[in-house]
Order: sequence, then structure tokens, then C-alpha cells
Amino acid sequence: MSEYDVINSRAARLDAPDKVTGRAVFVDDMSMPGMLYGAMLQSPVAHAKILNVDISEALKLPGVKSVVTAKEAGLINYGVSPARYDETLFCSDRVRYVGDEIAAVAAVDLETAMEAVSLIKVTYEELPILLTVEEAMAEGAPQLHDKYPGNICAEVHQEFGDVATAFKECDIIKTTTFTNKRQDAAFIEPQGVLANYDLSGHLTLYSSTQVPHYVQRIVSMVLGLPMGKVRVVKPYVGGGFGIKAATNPMELAACLLSMKTRKPVKMNYSREQVFLFSRARHQFVHKMTTGVKKDGTIVALEHECYLDGGAYSSFGIATVYYAGSLLGGPYKLQNMKYDGYRAYTNKPACGAHRGHGGVAARACWEQQLDMIAEELNMDPLDFRLMNMMETGDVSCNDLSMSSFGMRECIEAIKEGSDWKSKKGKLPKGKGIGMACGFFVSGAGYPIYRSDTPHSTMVIKLTEDGGSAILYSGSAEIGQGSDTAFAMIAAETIGIPLENVRIESGDTDFGVDLGAYSSRQTLMTGHATKEAAEDVKQQVLDVLSKELNVAVEEMDIKQGRIIFKNETPDYSVLKTAYIKEHRGWTDQPEGAYLTFNEAARIAFLVKGPIVGTGKYSPPILGGRFKGAAVGTSPAYGCSAMIAEVSVDMDTGHVTVDKVTDAHDCGKAINRTSVEAQMQGSISMGLGEALFEEVKFDDKGHIINSDLAEYKIPTILDMPPVDAIVVETNEPNGPFGAKEVGEGGIMPVIPAILNAVYDAIGERIYELPMSSERIYMALNKKNKK
Amino acid sequence: MLLPKFKFHEPKTEQEACQILTEYGDKARPIAGGTDLVVNMKKKLMSPEHVVSLSRIASLKGLQKENGFVKIGACFTVADMIEAKDIRENVNALSAGAAALGSPLVRNLATIGGNLGSARPAADLPPPLMAYGATLILKSGKGKRNIAIDDFFKSPGTTECRPDEFIAEIQVLTPPAGAGAGYINLGARKAQDCNIVNVASFICLNKSGVIDTARVILGCVGPVHLRAPAAEKILMGEKPDKVLFRQAADAAKTDCLPITDFRGTGEYKRAMVGVLTQRTLEIALDEAKKNN
Ligand SMILES: Cc1cc2nc3c(=O)[nH]c(=O)nc-3n(C[C@H](O)[C@H](O)[C@H](O)COP(=O)(O)OP(=O)(O)OC[C@H]3O[C@@H](n4cnc5c(N)ncnc54)[C@H](O)[C@@H]3O)c2cc1C
Repeated sequence: MSEYDVINSRAARLDAPDKVTGRAVFVDDMSMPGMLYGAMLQSPVAHAKILNVDISEALKLPGVKSVVTAKEAGLINYGVSPARYDETLFCSDRVRYVGDEIAAVAAVDLETAMEAVSLIKVTYEELPILLTVEEAMAEGAPQLHDKYPGNICAEVHQEFGDVATAFKECDIIKTTTFTNKRQDAAFIEPQGVLANYDLSGHLTLYSSTQVPHYVQRIVSMVLGLPMGKVRVVKPYVGGGFGIKAATNPMELAACLLSMKTRKPVKMNYSREQVFLFSRARHQFVHKMTTGVKKDGTIVALEHECYLDGGAYSSFGIATVYYAGSLLGGPYKLQNMKYDGYRAYTNKPACGAHRGHGGVAARACWEQQLDMIAEELNMDPLDFRLMNMMETGDVSCNDLSMSSFGMRECIEAIKEGSDWKSKKGKLPKGKGIGMACGFFVSGAGYPIYRSDTPHSTMVIKLTEDGGSAILYSGSAEIGQGSDTAFAMIAAETIGIPLENVRIESGDTDFGVDLGAYSSRQTLMTGHATKEAAEDVKQQVLDVLSKELNVAVEEMDIKQGRIIFKNETPDYSVLKTAYIKEHRGWTDQPEGAYLTFNEAARIAFLVKGPIVGTGKYSPPILGGRFKGAAVGTSPAYGCSAMIAEVSVDMDTGHVTVDKVTDAHDCGKAINRTSVEAQMQGSISMGLGEALFEEVKFDDKGHIINSDLAEYKIPTILDMPPVDAIVVETNEPNGPFGAKEVGEGGIMPVIPAILNAVYDAIGERIYELPMSSERIYMALNKKNKK
Repeated sequence: MLLPKFKFHEPKTEQEACQILTEYGDKARPIAGGTDLVVNMKKKLMSPEHVVSLSRIASLKGLQKENGFVKIGACFTVADMIEAKDIRENVNALSAGAAALGSPLVRNLATIGGNLGSARPAADLPPPLMAYGATLILKSGKGKRNIAIDDFFKSPGTTECRPDEFIAEIQVLTPPAGAGAGYINLGARKAQDCNIVNVASFICLNKSGVIDTARVILGCVGPVHLRAPAAEKILMGEKPDKVLFRQAADAAKTDCLPITDFRGTGEYKRAMVGVLTQRTLEIALDEAKKNN
């Protein structure tokens, strides 16, 4: 039995009934009287000078209400990190990838808007294109951005400890190189917007976003509006995975068109445009050298990494930092050197994508550690256990593991998969492999330097005393955050979940940095708890005065007022409540004072009962350059075992079974935690086996649809044993921390290691397509 | 992506359909499930001015076993093909082809006629139909004609079907005793995939256990589905065993013209032709032994 009434349960998701019946409103379900439709002109070439943009024919087309280009939009730079604002809403003199935005049209319907787009004449002078990191970093390569010579968007050089000296003490030094492929997150709902600039000069933007707050800031900045006049509202969202964690040009274009026309303007990305906007996982090339002692102690890691960034920065600076910093754990490692480079190329920009920056690095290293364990003749599981950090440990780059259930995770998967009887004992073509991972539970710093709280929460009790309503700027994007916050509020106040309602995703409700970096359960959860405590305190304060009982002698549980000592005579309050509610059917029964009654009385005495909460992370470690990327109030961790079959003739890999354990601190909603683990496995499996965004030699994506960009179907998903390991995270609300992104960390390397176990060959390039495995087997047979 | 503008026709009889197709000729295009045509129209690869639905014509939706033939109406859906006992019990490799096609949602709409009409070199139904030596019944205002499926496909997207014609029925001779067939498709994932290679094989054993008919069909490795003459020649007149099948599989690799594209290299596809030929022959042999 749980000590809690609401959290730590399998409470049904609040949004489930609406979603399964199709009643949930997503942005594309919305319309407004007089609404116009927008469409965008995007560059058909990967790199060119714009010599001229002629919109005259487009303007003449009947039904066209506005055409905007850089001339109308201005050239205010924006982006994700203020240190790299390298985008403008529309290109004025140069396009840098196929898909770069040049103009937008608003018209009475979509057909007209698209026809108008086709009537805009652009004269290009084509320039040489750069499609790879090597081309971009080659001497004499054409420069994509004047401000960033050598096409280097960002570079990182860090050393903790002394790697060169440490290598001298090592018995085994192993170097491997590894690369993944550019990904698409393939969320089910393409980005869409509805912008409404009303006649009193207020702009409301409905958008499929993960971050209403950041979008509000950028829209205000780029369009020159005071933030108070810009409201961003997030309806239900069909997934984001990081790609919707920043402002997109369609959001800005729709707002601008609405301002020009004074009409609501609706726009959507097609699936092809989702691929063109991209902002998903980079392609990384990692070169790692690890030094280990004979006894198995991991001593040093030297790491070099190149990222193919695409045409703009997006989240890229954070990505290149994360790619290095997230190897600081989960093993006790004293010496770590990292050199990372992110290059600009003439492709869509890459950005943050579940497991931001750390996924390919983790895959490379966990594979290498497996190779080292084999050389040491150690069970890879024991090898990891012996080097594992523990609660209270701080990594060489100042990541502090304030709770760390990794040992429990490893023990759980070992048991759950029957590792002992399988490892090293399976027939050819069958394999088992394991890996570990960890991830931040919320970025310790906002994207822009600021002392703004990372989250605020307002909870208001309804005047009848029956319900609590949460108002939050946080972003429910399908992960279940609304339900989690409602559960935290219900638990804290002491009322049933059914008496809590949440309104979220609206910048009018407060500041919340949104759904990225696996932050909301911890950060918004804290703000929620604080606001709920405030509400509870206010109700109890009134009761205390009315009944002459000290607040400390009372509590609220399951919707009832608890008197810890003597129960006072509260009949006056009951009578007052009955009088207030004459004729209503909700008269409380039973021999106790209900929360309803108490809250109603509190309202009568005080007026509106509104509680507020906020969260700012504590001061976190690390004073070196780049320390802000990787430091977090807490870290989730996980371990996974994959079992695979490989068809030795075709090379086809099937993942037969996964045993996965994740330490999420205290599970607020157990079902949601397991769902995040399952989703992480599906996403990681796709990246391991199938997924790759492919380009032709002119920079066009050739598989910008979900037929040829292959994410796993449900038939490709193995049975998953998702084991929730709980610890008590001191920095988390009720001890909770992340599961959203950390869950993906061990997936790819566990499959890599299992495939090796099955075929006896190491694969250093993703995806592990049948062909790649077949070629590896072929090479081996020829040896 | 928006659909281009077109006029939509919904004839209720074959005769009406013939009239409409005759009237509009190459400005018209039949539509059945639309799972191929609509995609092509959205991509602007095709923009017929007239789209003629065949879905309301009851006579195109039947399935009968008659005079030693399994006769399948062109508008019979792929989902129904998987369920149909007459198909499973008589021409099981065709059930395997149907089960390999798309996903349940696609199969509910997709038809056998549309699969042939689309003439995609990676399609799932042509290999088993060719392995069984199926015949297509084409109809038009000028009457009807029969055409062997081997002669039907001309190049990717084009067939023997004239603009005023449509496929009305697919007839498959029920295989005799001693016959068996197998179909395997290789893709990246387990459903909703475009095949990398697909192969169907058919063999028939005579009373002394010698192969007297052999058909091996290779998909995705040529502009149309290919017969594998060298492989078939090796099989004919021989007693089946693993070694023979291996030789046939090696020969099949020389019977194809795979290209390198973003789905795979020619080298890999050629190698897979060998693997799948061997495996489909083994399935065919198992079935042939059971049917004796
Ligand atoms: C997501 C997805 C997955 C798919 N996966 C597969 C797969 O795994 N394997 C596979 O083989 N296919 C696949 N397809 C393609 C398609 O579903 C099949 O080819 C299907 O059988 C087409 O049938 P239809 O009735 O929908 O054809 P339609 O789209 O209606 O027609 C296809 C073509 O045939 C013509 N046509 C239709 N009926 C006739 C007729 N009676 N006579 C003459 N011409 C006709 C049409 O004019 C058109 O050119 C997939 C499609 C989608 C969208």
C-alpha cells in the first residue's frame, strides 16, 4: 500500500476520454469566423543568392489578402540561444537550405494561397552547396554565415582531470569511431497555427508547441510587440520530442499575416514541411578513446565529436555541449577531455530531440565499454556495476547525483531477463546485450540568461468550494503532464483527483519554460506543490479562526478535514454551508467536515482563494565555460537489456524482448512512467534499425514521408518488461524526477551489444539495416 | 498537399463504366481503393481530369471457385483476400502476398485490381499471381479479352490495359496435385513497407517426384516483375532437394537487373534474390509434398 492517496498510483489520464473519442481539440480542429489560410514559399534550392523577389502577380490573384516577405517582416535576428540568433523570419539576400522561407501569403482559402505562392517569382544565383561536415570544414569552403568563419557554428573544448597522464596508468586503451544518422521525430501531429490579431491590438497565437513561453518571447521580439499584448495558447498537441521546443517561422508568419490583414490566419505544415523544418537529431561522428586498468577501473575518456548542424543553429550550441557533458556519468570517471564541433551545412537545421545531444554519444561509449569488458573477460554487467556512481557522487564535470538508483536498475534487469543463463550461451543468430544511461531532470538554466522562475502555478478554488483549478503555462504534449500536476495538487491539498481540473499551455496563466529537457514533472511539479500548499494553508487559516483550533492540529485528507486532537464543534459552519447551498443537491453527508464546506466558508470569509507557487532551481555546480549545459537539479537513470534474433542470410534484425529499468525518483503516475519507457524504446529501436533522413546530391530530402522514413510499427515493437525503480530525489516534488528522455539512452547501445552477441561483428554505423548487417557478415566470412 | 481538380464518376454497372472510359479515353483513370492513385495525384504525378470509381459495381467484387479456377473480381479487397478460404486453401502464396501488403488500414481499401493496375515493380500480389500463371480478364466497350499476367506489365506504372479498358477479373487455375508455391517479401520493418526484394516460386512434381513445372518470379529487381528463366531451367526435370534449390537460387541472381537506390544497393538485392528464391522453393516443396 502506498502512503499516498493520489500520487504513485495508476490514475487514468485526464485527457484520455477526449482523446479516444476524438473530442480533443488540436490546432487543426480550430476555426474562426472570417479566417484566412496561409501558405509559405520555401526555397527549392539549397544555397543561392536571392537577386529579386517579385510578388506582383501573387498580389493580383483574386482572393489573396496579403503577401509578406523580408521587406514587410524586417530582419530581426532570432533563434533559440541568444548567443546564436542566426535566423530571420524570411530570407532577404540568401537561402541556405531547401525549405528556407522566403515569403508567405494569406488568402481566402488554401488553394488560392498555394496558387499565389506559385506566382511569386524569385531570381536565384545558385551557390556551391555543402552537404557534409567535411565539405563544410574544408579549407576554402564557401561561408554560410559571415559571422561564423570556417562554417563552425560552435565548438567546445573541455578537459576535466588530466587525460594524457591518466592514459599512462592504463592497461587497455581502446579507440572506436561511431556515427548515427540524421533523424526525424515523426510526431503524429504536424505543426500548425491559428493566429488572431484582434481589433484592439492583442495577438493570440494558437500553436502546436512544447514551449508557449519561449514562443511568446520570440513573437514579441521579432514582430515588435510588447509581451503583454502577445498571448500564446497551446491546444492539445500530438507529440513534439524537442522539435516543437522553439519558435518556427510559420508561427511568426501567421502572426504577421494576421496583423497585416486584421483577420485570423490559419497555417499548417504538411508532412514534407515537417521534414524540411527538421530541427531533429543531428548526425554525430564520435571518436572515443577510453583507458581502463586491468582490474576494470575506467580511468579516462578522450572524446572528439562532429555534428552536421544544417543551415542554422537552433538548439545546436546546447547539443554540442550535451554530446560531451553527458558522458561525465554514470560511471566514476576522473579524467575526461572533450572537443566538439558543430558545422553549418546546406541542409535543414538540426536541433533538440529526445535525449538531447547524448544519444549517439551514449551508443558509441556503451558499445566501447562492452568491447573493453570482453577484453577484460568480465561480464559487461559486472564491469558497469563496479564503475557505477552512487547516490551523493559528483562527476568530474560537476553533475551531482542527488539520488541514483542505477544499481537497483541493473539488478532488476539482470533478474528480469534471466541474463545469467543467456549471456554467452545463446546459439548463433541470437544475442543479448545491455547498456546504461542517465539524463538531466530539467536544464538548470533557461535558454536565455534570466532570474525568471522556471515555472509558476496558480491554483484557484471554485467559489462553491468543490473544486481546485490549476492555471499553468506548462505544456501537455501527450506525455501526461496535466494529469501529473493534477495528481500532485490533489495529493498536496488532500482532495480526490476528480475534484481537480487543470487549464494549461496558456501564457496568460503564468511563466513555464515548457516541455523540454525532461523538466516539467520536477519543476512544474514543485510550483504545483507550492501553490497547493498555499491554498491548503489559506483554507486551514480560515478554519483555525472560525473554530479556534490551531492550524497545526488540522489536516486535509481525501476531501475531509482531519482534527488531530479534539474534534471541535463545527455545526455552525455546516449550517452556514447548508444555507448557502439551499436547494442544491450536493449537501455533504456524514459525521465530518468536508473540504467543500471548509473551502466554501473560506471563500465567504476571504473572497477568492488563490494559491500561487513558483520554482527556480537551486544554485548548481560547475563554474567552467559550458557548465550550464548538463547541470540539473536531479538525474534519472536507466539500464536495459535487449534480446535479438538476426537472420544470418538476410541480415534482418528482430528485437525479441526488452527488459528495461528506470529510476524516476518517486513515480507520480506509474502508468505514465511505463509509457515513457515504452515510447523511448520504440523511438530508440527505430533509430537503431531503420531511421535515416536521406538527401540527394542537391540537398533535397528524398524520403520526406512516413512511407519511406521508417519508424517502427507496433509489429516491430518487442514485448517490454518496464520496471519502475523508485528512489527519493531530494530535489524533486514528492521525490520525483525525469523519465521522458533518459529512457532512450540505453536503447540503441543495448541493441548494438545484442547484435554483436548474435553475429560476432561490431557495427559502427546506424541504422543497423539488414543490408549493413549482411555486409558485415559477408566481410567476416571472407576473412 | 492538395488533390488536383477532377470530375468524379460512379458507374453502377460494368457497361456504364465502359461508356465513361470510352468517352474520356486517356483523360480518365479508374479508381478502386485509391490507395495508390490518390497518393500519386497528391504528388501531382498523375492528374486525370476524370476519375472513374469502380467500387459501386457489384459484379467486380465477387470471388468464386468455378471450373477449376479461382476467380477474383478486380475490386475484391486485399483484406478480404486474407480471409477468403478459397484463396487460402487453393492458392496460399497469394494469401501470403495479401498479408504482406501495407497495414490493416490500407488493406481494407486496397484491391487486387488496383495492385495490378498500379504496376509497381515492388508490389506484393504480382509475384504469387505470376507464379500461379494467372490470367486477367480486361473489359471495354469493344468487348473483353484475356491476357496472361506475364504479358500484362510493360514498365513501372504502365500495363497492357488501354485507357478505355479496365481489369474485370483475375483467374487463377487451381494448382494440380503435387503443386506448391511460396512467397516471401523482404522489407525493413514488419508492416507498411516498400519491399527491398520479393520472390514467389511455384513447382509441380509429377508422379515420380520430378519437377515438371517451375516458375520463379522476382520483384524489385527490374522495371517489372521478372520470370527467372535460368533458375526455372535448372529446376525443370530434376528431383527437388536443397542442393538443387541452391543452384536455382544462384541462377536466379543472374536472372535479375537490380539497381542501386536509396532502399539498397544492387549487390544486396541480388544476394537477397538468391536467399528468397531458395526459401520460397522450400516452402513450395513442403506444400507440394502435402498436396500429393
Ligand atoms: C501506406 C501504404 C502502404 C502500401 N503498402 C503496399 C505494400 O506493402 N505492397 C503493395 O503491393 N502495395 C502497397 N501499397 C500500394 C497500394 O495500396 C496497393 O497497390 C493497392 O493494391 C492498390 O489498390 P487500390 O484499389 O487502392 O488501387 P487504386 O489506387 O484505386 O488504383 C491503382 C492504379 O490502378 C488503376 N486501377 C485500379 N483498378 C483498376 C482496374 N480494375 N482496372 C484497371 N486499372 C485499375 C488505377 O487507375 C491506378 O492507376 C501501399 C499504399 C499505401 C498508401
